[in-house]
Amino acid sequence: MSESSKSKSLNLNPSPTLQCKDLHEYLKSRSAQFLETLYNYPTICLAVYRELPELARHFVIRLLFVEQPVPQAVVTSWVSQTFAKEQAKACEALSELSVWQEAPIPGGMPGWMLAQSFKKNLKVALLGGGRAWSMSSSLEPDGKARDVAFLDAYALERWECVLHYMVGSAQTEGISADAVRILLHAGLMTRDAEDGSAVITRAGFQFLLLSTAKQVWLFLQHYLHTAEKRSLSAAECLAFLYQLSFSTLGKDYSTEGMSNNMLVFLQHLREFGLVYQRKRKAGRFYPTRLALNIAQVRGGGAAPLAAPAQARGYIVVETNYRVYAYTQTNLQVALLGLFTELMYRFPNLVVGVLTRESVRQALRGGITAEQIIHYLEQHSHPQMLKSETGGIRTSSMLPPTVVDQIKLWETERNRFTYTEGVVYNQFLSQADFVVLRDYAKQQGVLTWQNERSRTMVVTRHGHDDVKKFWKRYSKSS
Amino acid sequence: MADDDTPSDSSLLVIIVDTNPNQRYITEDPKVLTNCLDAVIAFANSHLMQKARNELAVIGCHFHKSEYLYPTPGKPLDVRQIDGQYELFTLVEKTIKMRLVNLIKSQPPEEKPGESLLAGAVAMALCFIAKFRREATPGLRITARILIVTGSSDTAAQYINYMNVFFTAQKQQVLIDVCSLDKHLSLLQQGCDITGGLYLKVPSLEGLLQYLLWVFLPETSERTKLVLPGRGRVDYRAACFCHRELLTIGYVCSVCLSVFCKFSPICTTCHTVFKIGGPLPIKPKKKKMKV
Amino acid sequence: MVNVMKGVLVECDPAMKQFLLHLDETLALGRKFILQDLDETHLFISADIVETLQARVDDLMDQLSIPVHDKGM
Repeated sequence: MSESSKSKSLNLNPSPTLQCKDLHEYLKSRSAQFLETLYNYPTICLAVYRELPELARHFVIRLLFVEQPVPQAVVTSWVSQTFAKEQAKACEALSELSVWQEAPIPGGMPGWMLAQSFKKNLKVALLGGGRAWSMSSSLEPDGKARDVAFLDAYALERWECVLHYMVGSAQTEGISADAVRILLHAGLMTRDAEDGSAVITRAGFQFLLLSTAKQVWLFLQHYLHTAEKRSLSAAECLAFLYQLSFSTLGKDYSTEGMSNNMLVFLQHLREFGLVYQRKRKAGRFYPTRLALNIAQVRGGGAAPLAAPAQARGYIVVETNYRVYAYTQTNLQVALLGLFTELMYRFPNLVVGVLTRESVRQALRGGITAEQIIHYLEQHSHPQMLKSETGGIRTSSMLPPTVVDQIKLWETERNRFTYTEGVVYNQFLSQADFVVLRDYAKQQGVLTWQNERSRTMVVTRHGHDDVKKFWKRYSKSS
Repeated sequence: MADDDTPSDSSLLVIIVDTNPNQRYITEDPKVLTNCLDAVIAFANSHLMQKARNELAVIGCHFHKSEYLYPTPGKPLDVRQIDGQYELFTLVEKTIKMRLVNLIKSQPPEEKPGESLLAGAVAMALCFIAKFRREATPGLRITARILIVTGSSDTAAQYINYMNVFFTAQKQQVLIDVCSLDKHLSLLQQGCDITGGLYLKVPSLEGLLQYLLWVFLPETSERTKLVLPGRGRVDYRAACFCHRELLTIGYVCSVCLSVFCKFSPICTTCHTVFKIGGPLPIKPKKKKMKV
Repeated sequence: MVNVMKGVLVECDPAMKQFLLHLDETLALGRKFILQDLDETHLFISADIVETLQARVDDLMDQLSIPVHDKGM
């Protein structure tokens, strides 16, 4: 994560927002060779294709059956002039992920051509051919086949185990050292200075507020990071993950022909509830909904794909800032307690109220208003979805007053922006000032300047550079 | 449509494939049907490939009945991967081919192939869409469209049925796209125009898949951004109710608006008796006196 | 020669700036902390005061806000 890279000596902005990259951003941050190896897997090609912007998908599908490079001008002509900006964005996305490359056309015009391996493997995924995916050897019918409801319950239980561990709700059984290591690596938990036990961090709380699909994806991203250290190939793991995400719920798959590394990986996935296996050596496994959802992290906005009954929304928010949550699990109550003041608790219902204090408490903890609103939206009771007035579609089903107020509470905290820096003043001449200012501006470290008072402020990390420049400059002049 | 611009969460596509054996391209070379079918299946899978939540239905339309080719009622086939193709796509392909064979086998042997029951198939598609919308999770934005792939020639025998389904589709905000494989189809073109869909007569059958992917794959929200073949002039001639022929000028019943090519003293639709030849000006006078 | 000072650049609205100037003048935080008054919306302050200042501003905001709902019943 990029948080560590921009950490400062002084904690001025105490809200390191948790970043959840989607597949596109994740791949963008990887090297071209890594992408090249990835595109050898049809599953990845399929997943990458789905993550592309709409127009980019259109380009790919039109170029899919074309063998020569196509002039860039022709590609441009497919989109109407008014949407030139979106078209540029689509082209950029395709180049970033090296889905296509520039290729000259005999006439000398620049052209586009899809990357060979990507093209080949996307065709394989779409039309068939090539080798079967590793897990699809035929199996005898399972005597004790598991149905979808069972798998949902299993997945939910396993995943909540991880979450429970994070909030430290007594339950510590059932989570392995590996999982703890990943949580620590991701910065979601940290070792307590005194007794070395793992405690949740601010990022961890933000993590809890994400949708389950996003949680799983973020967790796996960090898993892949650590995987490389354990001599597991990240490309292979990623390919297998997406293979899982394109499988059918409630169907069993064979472990035959899987490499040792992948069997290890499978055991890890089993621990987190992404796959179900009766026994370690059962020879077959069932993917669960958690695995299937990986491919849909981006869509995340609306209702989850036919969610299991337990994961249905349970929160009702009223215009008087009351929050009613129909839940029994401690985890959900604890999460709600992060930003509401809990008032009553009944066997199946918790009543809380959003107050300025409670929300600010959460904001201080590094949770953003957006995350709170998103959490409430995501877990809205079906009744809230229905009560939406037909015709007018607001962006949120929550009462607008509540949404606005939460945002106001956040902005009220941000009346100041602090930037660490170094001030330069008392220049002897205007010329000196202009030279130094322009240099700082060029380096992109200038934060503020005033020509009349001959004062400028540069960022702290730019200070050394500017100082050196100034010394050189004053010597030479 | 209200939110045309925002891309939908899920897009439902119902493809109606005309499998009538008396289409010209099939009578000339029966093998072409397999090629066309392959193109349609590849297109269907491309639609599913666009988004994880996209949905698909395929209806086979024959001269004696129309039937769902995909999805199958009841339990889906148990399909294992045989090659690198995505499992779901294999399932689609297998199911369609198997069900189509059943459909063709079920055709009555002694009967001479008549006209394809396209209007009925569209009605089935509309029912499917309505049911899908009803059962979808609340809050999910769904767009639905119908694609008709046919090589039949234009006849006006089902004129009324066509118009009924077209206007229903319009009301349900369902787009109807038509891909004609052989002749120009003015009636179906009207349907496209009414519902805001696209009409395309494929110049050559070899490139069918490319045409399908190019013109019919983009969603409604995307189509505005792309340069697609223009609508062209739409022939809005109506068919007469007596002989099912397309007319420019005809007789219209003043009560029920039925169209006739020849004058008849009694409207066959609503049984109104027209008085002819009589001195018409008398009637309005009588009425006036009453008022 | 050029004078160089390390610290923190604060950007805020003019009203809040006046509040900071007030705190500075009245020694409300125990000492002066503004190193330089830059313009309408910018101040340059010493880095070690930031946390105290933040708490102080929070207090101010607490005084200003009115509960938006009744908690009773």
